[in-house]
Amino acid sequence: MAPLNKKIQKFLKDSIRVAPKISKKGELAELRNGLVSPYPQTRKDAIKKTIQQMTLGKDVSSLFPDVLKNIATNDVEQKKLVYLYVMNYAESHPELCILAVNTFVTDAQDPNPLIRCMSIRTMSMVRVDKILEYVEIPLRRTLQDDNPYVRKTAVICVAKLFQLNQELCIELGVLEDLVSALDDSNPMVVANATAALTEIHGVDPSVVSLPKLINSHVSQFLLALNECTEWARITILGALADYSAKDSLEAQDIIDRVSAHLQHVNPAVVLATIKVIIRNLPQIQQQNFKAISLKLSSALVSIMSTPPEMQYVALKNIRIILEKYPELLVKELRIFYVKFNDPLYVKLEKIDIMVRLVDATNLKQCNLLLTELKEYAMEFEPEFVSKSIQGITQLAIKYSGEKFVSKALDDLLELVDRTENLKDDCCIAMCDLLRHCPTNEKIASDICALLNSWAVPESSLISDAAKCNYIWLMGHYPEKFTDLEGKLDQMIENFVQEECMTQASILMTVVRLHTQLPGSTLQNVLEMATTSVNEIDIRDMAMIYWRCLSMPNSDTLVDQLCKSVAPIFENALDNFSTETLEKLLNELSTISSIYFRPQSVRAKRYVLRQNIVRGKRMDELKDMAKNEIAKNMNDDVLLDFGDDEPKTSSSGNVSSNLLDDLDDIFGFNSTGATTSSETKDMQSSTNKMNTSTTNTQDLLNLF
Amino acid sequence: MGNFFSSMFDRLWGVNKELRILILGLDGAGKTTILYRLQIGEVVTTKPTIGFNVETLSYKNLKLNVWDLGGQTSIRPYWRCYYTDTAAVIFVVDSTDKDRMATASKELHVMLQEEELQDAALLVFANKQDQPGALSATEVSKELNLVELKDRSWSIVASSAIRGEGITEGLDWLIDVIKEEQLAA
Repeated sequence: MAPLNKKIQKFLKDSIRVAPKISKKGELAELRNGLVSPYPQTRKDAIKKTIQQMTLGKDVSSLFPDVLKNIATNDVEQKKLVYLYVMNYAESHPELCILAVNTFVTDAQDPNPLIRCMSIRTMSMVRVDKILEYVEIPLRRTLQDDNPYVRKTAVICVAKLFQLNQELCIELGVLEDLVSALDDSNPMVVANATAALTEIHGVDPSVVSLPKLINSHVSQFLLALNECTEWARITILGALADYSAKDSLEAQDIIDRVSAHLQHVNPAVVLATIKVIIRNLPQIQQQNFKAISLKLSSALVSIMSTPPEMQYVALKNIRIILEKYPELLVKELRIFYVKFNDPLYVKLEKIDIMVRLVDATNLKQCNLLLTELKEYAMEFEPEFVSKSIQGITQLAIKYSGEKFVSKALDDLLELVDRTENLKDDCCIAMCDLLRHCPTNEKIASDICALLNSWAVPESSLISDAAKCNYIWLMGHYPEKFTDLEGKLDQMIENFVQEECMTQASILMTVVRLHTQLPGSTLQNVLEMATTSVNEIDIRDMAMIYWRCLSMPNSDTLVDQLCKSVAPIFENALDNFSTETLEKLLNELSTISSIYFRPQSVRAKRYVLRQNIVRGKRMDELKDMAKNEIAKNMNDDVLLDFGDDEPKTSSSGNVSSNLLDDLDDIFGFNSTGATTSSETKDMQSSTNKMNTSTTNTQDLLNLF
Repeated sequence: MGNFFSSMFDRLWGVNKELRILILGLDGAGKTTILYRLQIGEVVTTKPTIGFNVETLSYKNLKLNVWDLGGQTSIRPYWRCYYTDTAAVIFVVDSTDKDRMATASKELHVMLQEEELQDAALLVFANKQDQPGALSATEVSKELNLVELKDRSWSIVASSAIRGEGITEGLDWLIDVIKEEQLAA
């Protein structure tokens, strides 16, 4: 019968309620009346309604003064609502915010830690400079609070204050408090202090020496690590990853202490832990290496069973780690097999990882992967299919045995046979294979036979790279193509419309084969390349060829140019430079690891700059007005100084706007003169001005 | 059911409704000290009020919502935000601060011009009577030109918030006036 009971209670409550109710419409006028109502109940209802409107996205900022009146209350719920409102709209009423200061300061001493915490948090979130002037006392008090919940909030507020007003933050000396918070007994406080310091360090590295602090607090971090929440753990692990151990013993110790977190449910914690371990791995003694890498590989495997978005991040990070420690996951190839329901972006990354991962000395594994990739190439998503075909080539080149290469080639031939639209990718892939073993006649003739059979190459190949490869092939194995001339002519017809790789390839092939082709073809291509192509490189290339061809003993020269053999294609996988790799390893589990670009390289460093709202002050307005007057006067005066006093005019130019400066100039005019002569000077200068204007008028009259 | 009836009585006596009273005055006059003298009956150490304090107190069966607004020059313009529905204004004057009597007088008269305050009763505390050299209530009244006030119930009381003198007397007068006005209304 409970619900009925409740209904009766509600009915009775409503029937005795005197306080007027707020209707559901939420009109501003009604809300405003409600907010200043003499009935506390109505006021609270009105605040609730106001917040409701705010979250709906309506602009209720005009109620600011009235909502603010309700900030001083003992009702925690109401206080929280008002604080929420103030945070949201403070910027629209910067002047009025000052009225809340007293409550903020009082609340920072409230016996209830929740209120203390709320007050300091809100105060640091209100981006109004007048509020910040009063932040000192509450901030200092809450930093020394007995309750760790308040301290951990206050510590973050220091970082916020720093972003809003660096000078003030340094002047108050709260950074020292922040540093001492690293020694706090509560792990949450330690973690938040670390996060705050990291943030501040990111804005201005000169203010705090973060590396030094981390060095001296490693033991505290390791102690706090096991007792705090997962997010705090990530922060602390992040700090630990910036620490380089003194010797192998310490490195081993750190790894032992953190490795428990490799089994954490939160993949971010796992990744942060991996980062710490990777950081210390180079210092570890050889006999322990195996045990650690076992742990690492199982951790990496575990983060592969997360949702696809996280898998993507994991894959990107694995790719970086693999480049440093390729043997780490060698036995785990199977977990990277593509599942049918993986999203495309994960599939592509997986193929990349697998090709990198595979052990090139293990034929069995390579064969397995080849079959797997061939399966993928028969799927329907075009990007996925081309990535698989690319993978097949990369794999074949990585394994590098001619037998294996021909096997891969057979697979490719089969694929082309099966589906029409793979011609592009297969053409590129086959030419790559051929470039890897250029001496193998069988491969060359197989490929050429296939390509030769395509009737209209320029319509069956779409991408620039594929066309380029196709023409390159014709240039190198002209004897294997029938109707070479016709096929080339088709390509040349569209020469101007082609992209530059194809253009370059056509140009080279035509020059190379100039003895076999009719002379007009060569002439035609050279002319088009030098006159109607936008790409400057192509024009230059054509110019050089043309000049070589027109030299006296051109045949030998051109032969030399064309007979040079391209280097054998050894590695189809791109690698990071050692330097980049080291940097990326230090930035694992950050956004840099997704872009593969270390932070220092990324052109725009994203710096959090909060703008702070200032109420216009009277003196500012006065200054503005003063400036305007001064500017106008300056314009006049400059006119005068122009003709006979170049020295003064230059100084007048530099000291631009302020009246004071102008006074100086006048003073400068009358060096050592009395005030009366100064006024005379003024007069004379106005006279001069008059003359100068008449001068200009005369000049104008001349025309 | 007991609750129900007590609420009914509250309703009859109008206890649920709060009366709004403002404490105004120049900075350092002792507004916050007076507020807390009324609220907890003790002297608290205060800092300049940037903004406001508000306390609800029951006095003679009335629920008073007493607002103490900061007196700094920068905050005075915002006093007007609080004028609506005000039953009474308590204006506190530092009786020892002879130099700023004129300023106080000006602020007081400007404030009383406001339409929203036409029906509000005025109580002036000539505060800090415990200090040597403090002007008497009559002198303060003269300085503030209180006699010029027409159509308004007003009173001036010499007080010392530190010693607790004069505060209750002043408030008693104020409550009586408010009750009378409510009966009249």
